[in-house]
Amino acid sequence: MSAVMEATAPPVATDEKRRGRAAVLALARFEARELLLQIPVALTLVFYVGYTLYGLLFPEDGMDAYPALQDVDRATQSGPSVLLGIALLVCVNRAALRSRRRGTDRHFDVLVMEPWRRTVAHALSVVPYAVGTALVVLGAFTWQALRPGAVGHGSVAELAVAPLFVLFCGVLGLLIARLFPAVFAAPVLVILLFAVSVFVSASTGDAEWSRWLSPIVSENSNETLPSDLIGRPAAWHALYLVGLVLLFVTGAVFAGHGGRRTWPVKAALAGTLVLTLTGAVGQGQGVSPELTAAREKASTHPEKDQTCVRHGRSEYCAFPEWTVRTGTWAGVVDRVQNLAGGSAAEQPLVVRQRVEARYGLDGDGTIESSTTPHQVTVGTRWGGNRIPEFASAVASALVAGDEAKGGELCDGRVVTVMWLAVGGASDPLSDFRHVRLDDSTSGSAIVLSPTSPLSMSAGQTDVVREVLSSRPRAEVTSAVKSHWDELTAPGVKTADVARVLGVEAPKEADDCVGE
Amino acid sequence: MGAVRGVSGALVGAVARTVPWRAVGAGAVVGLLVVGLPRMLSGEPDPWLALNLLRGAALVFALGLAFLLDDPARELTTPVTTPRRLRTSLRVALVAPVAALWWTAALALVPEEARPPLGAITLEAAATVTLALAAAALAVRLTDEPEPGPSVAAAVLTTACLTPLLLPFHWDLFVPVDDPRWDAAHQRWAGVLAGAVLVWAACGPEPLRRRRVLRRDRPAGALGRPGA
Amino acid sequence: MIPTVSASGLSLRYGGTRALDDVSLRLTPGVTGLLGPNGAGKTTLLRVLATAVPADRGAFTVLGHDPSTSRGRQEVRRALGYLPQSPGFHPDFTAFEFVDYVAILKELTDRTARHREVRRVLEEVDLGDVRGRRIKKLSGGMRQRVALAAALVGDPGFLVLDEPTVGLDPEQRMRFRELIAHAGEGRTVLLSTHQTEDVAMLCHRVLVMAAGTIRFDGTPAELTERAAGRVWSSTERAPGAKAGWRTGTGTFRNVGDPPPGADLLEPTLEDGYLLTLDGAGAEVAA
Repeated sequence: MSAVMEATAPPVATDEKRRGRAAVLALARFEARELLLQIPVALTLVFYVGYTLYGLLFPEDGMDAYPALQDVDRATQSGPSVLLGIALLVCVNRAALRSRRRGTDRHFDVLVMEPWRRTVAHALSVVPYAVGTALVVLGAFTWQALRPGAVGHGSVAELAVAPLFVLFCGVLGLLIARLFPAVFAAPVLVILLFAVSVFVSASTGDAEWSRWLSPIVSENSNETLPSDLIGRPAAWHALYLVGLVLLFVTGAVFAGHGGRRTWPVKAALAGTLVLTLTGAVGQGQGVSPELTAAREKASTHPEKDQTCVRHGRSEYCAFPEWTVRTGTWAGVVDRVQNLAGGSAAEQPLVVRQRVEARYGLDGDGTIESSTTPHQVTVGTRWGGNRIPEFASAVASALVAGDEAKGGELCDGRVVTVMWLAVGGASDPLSDFRHVRLDDSTSGSAIVLSPTSPLSMSAGQTDVVREVLSSRPRAEVTSAVKSHWDELTAPGVKTADVARVLGVEAPKEADDCVGE
Repeated sequence: MGAVRGVSGALVGAVARTVPWRAVGAGAVVGLLVVGLPRMLSGEPDPWLALNLLRGAALVFALGLAFLLDDPARELTTPVTTPRRLRTSLRVALVAPVAALWWTAALALVPEEARPPLGAITLEAAATVTLALAAAALAVRLTDEPEPGPSVAAAVLTTACLTPLLLPFHWDLFVPVDDPRWDAAHQRWAGVLAGAVLVWAACGPEPLRRRRVLRRDRPAGALGRPGA
Repeated sequence: MIPTVSASGLSLRYGGTRALDDVSLRLTPGVTGLLGPNGAGKTTLLRVLATAVPADRGAFTVLGHDPSTSRGRQEVRRALGYLPQSPGFHPDFTAFEFVDYVAILKELTDRTARHREVRRVLEEVDLGDVRGRRIKKLSGGMRQRVALAAALVGDPGFLVLDEPTVGLDPEQRMRFRELIAHAGEGRTVLLSTHQTEDVAMLCHRVLVMAAGTIRFDGTPAELTERAAGRVWSSTERAPGAKAGWRTGTGTFRNVGDPPPGADLLEPTLEDGYLLTLDGAGAEVAA
């Protein structure tokens, strides 16, 4: 008899287990569908997908055509997936409290499926939304990666944050439901958690360890760095988030009415806590000495990391991730050089990519102008206004000999530089407007370039504007080429340049702002 | 007419017991916590942070008030002689002093040098809270659900998250104090408040006629969904 | 006899469903039963008559008051006691406090008289001993009686009871029948139920509803009479039967059109109810 029992007992147990698992999955599917019928979830989901699609299909800035994938991965974290997470937090919380609210507790507590299994099913019901978020993230990332102008490398750990955040919110809602079984707790706690996170980051002075405790860590930066210099502990952070999600699920199973407080659950609770702490410690260590050294080297001696490519007469040196873009730079250099005359038209240039990586992503990324003759600096970003900015740097190196001198120009040569920079563009006047800091075409202004900016007086602005808007391009080009030496002579008056180019001379004699 | 005569001490006492004080209290306590957090910091008070924490506190309090009209015994209390408008107004009247006291405390918690203009921020808070109440009244008016609070709170929270993102620049409501749009934004806040009051007033009376368009496609009495 | 309630042409739609379709009725003092399958519109009719939801079309009066004006509705509510299908409670109230709360909302303003009345109705539903206990501590049957007490408070002339005996054990149901029968003395009671025995034992009149319309209006005896000569027994399930089941004695009890020379049985109210529904083309659960 006992032999028979022993022989048959294990299959019954596994069968039971399998059925239990199937039931949990069936309930999870049911709850996931219920969540979709909740207005906040449906609305934020539609908004998330729509907003992402809109951003991809209708880019706002010319720079969007040249994405750096090490920025694109991080950009998938902020934005409306946060809203989806909050909606899921509230709705999962409400779903987990539904039976209590409807007074069916007493009935449901005696059903075959124990309360803790229902907790697990509620946690699993968030998974489809995390998968959906992952699909949106992957879709957006792939779309960007397939752009012809894309460079760089994305990080899987950064891409995982948005789906993990959605999961995090859902299971946090569940945990709140088990710890504070009142329907009003979750919405109120959402705001409190938000305020506490603001408070913690403010009270610890944005220390590295506390900054990374928040589930989504954004960078307030316009900088694009080579992917190996970014130094975000993304993998540790993903581990931290996974740990938090598992900790919350185990906590929800453990806590509250009908909680399962067996030793495996306690062990899992301890295990997930260790996992979370490991992630938290790992991500809070700050910048390693190796990374500091690498950043230092890339900022001060970029040539050690770079490979150079020759296009035409000039040489283009870029960090490995950017070498595919050198051809695009060469196009701009050729365009500018075609307008120049004298020896400048044939002058070989060295275009060197430079970054300021020593302060990481949140530092001030200003780059000093290069003093090497005929060397032009190009940044890590491209497209939109970055193109005329680079063109003006090329033009000032051609006119003044090097970038640093180009930045100090204040005589009539500024007009020549600006003509070279934008004269060959498809819409010169619009490029002229955009390369100026205040987007104006009159008055004095700062002209942006990858390194230190140029300044233009009101008179110089008027001359360039008139040349671009009223003079035929071919005539100006031939005038510049034939009078090249005069137009690039140090101390040339703006009025003289205006006369050569065939426009009215400015009334003010002041050629230099502040002189 | 009957409405005014119907207000007795006993009615006030009975309605006061049915007010979901725990939800209102939770909103109030957490709201004060939110405003009070920077007090624990030693540094300079930040006016921008104070403004937004006050907004957050008003939102938390409004989330608590989203539960104000919940009445588990709604099925039983619908056909009584005391009109619904009177019962709901009485609930609001009962929490109004609490709300006023709470808001005063919240403002007092903000250091004086960081405090935003009192009238404007109070207008924002009043509009937020009234909007939550109007949403609750709308839910009661359009559905048979006895306790629409959780749905109303979720809707208010979703709206609060989406509005700053979706509002076009020129219609922005959430502007910093030194922004040139501050005054215009508060005219819009006044508009929101007026709209919310109108919705509240329109949802007060019980309908004598039914408007089918707004009805849900579900037989009466079949409340809630099956599920765990 | 002057009708307490008279309604004509009541119609109400939920989306595409006609929950009520041109319902006219008159109710007189005593207990009137309302039978019908699920989804027949019973709860909707009761909610309309209890002024919980207005009808799309049609009109009705209760004790001469027309609820289509605020004043009229107020008067109707003054004369009304309503026990909904799923009454909710404030779980932290005691039974006494809860009924007292409803009494206040029914504008019983004099405190002493109101408390006396609340004690009276709680005694009437046999909850006098537990009136100080919180509702969350009460059993399902007790809660149902608290709701009945809330309906009875203020001695309303018109009582609307929506499936009050659902979920009660047989003893509690007997007790409830007693209460309802007692409440029906001198009052007009409209009792919606699935239990044909309730109707047979309590009601002087019975309405049968299906698909939003009234299919039968008469005495329980008349409803039973509908099945006269249409219930028979056989050893096999009869092919012509609308419904048939094997009884404890092993023979089949069939309802429908009997073959010639069948062994006819005494019909019950339920047989009449089933045949009424079947004649109306409604689904019959056999």
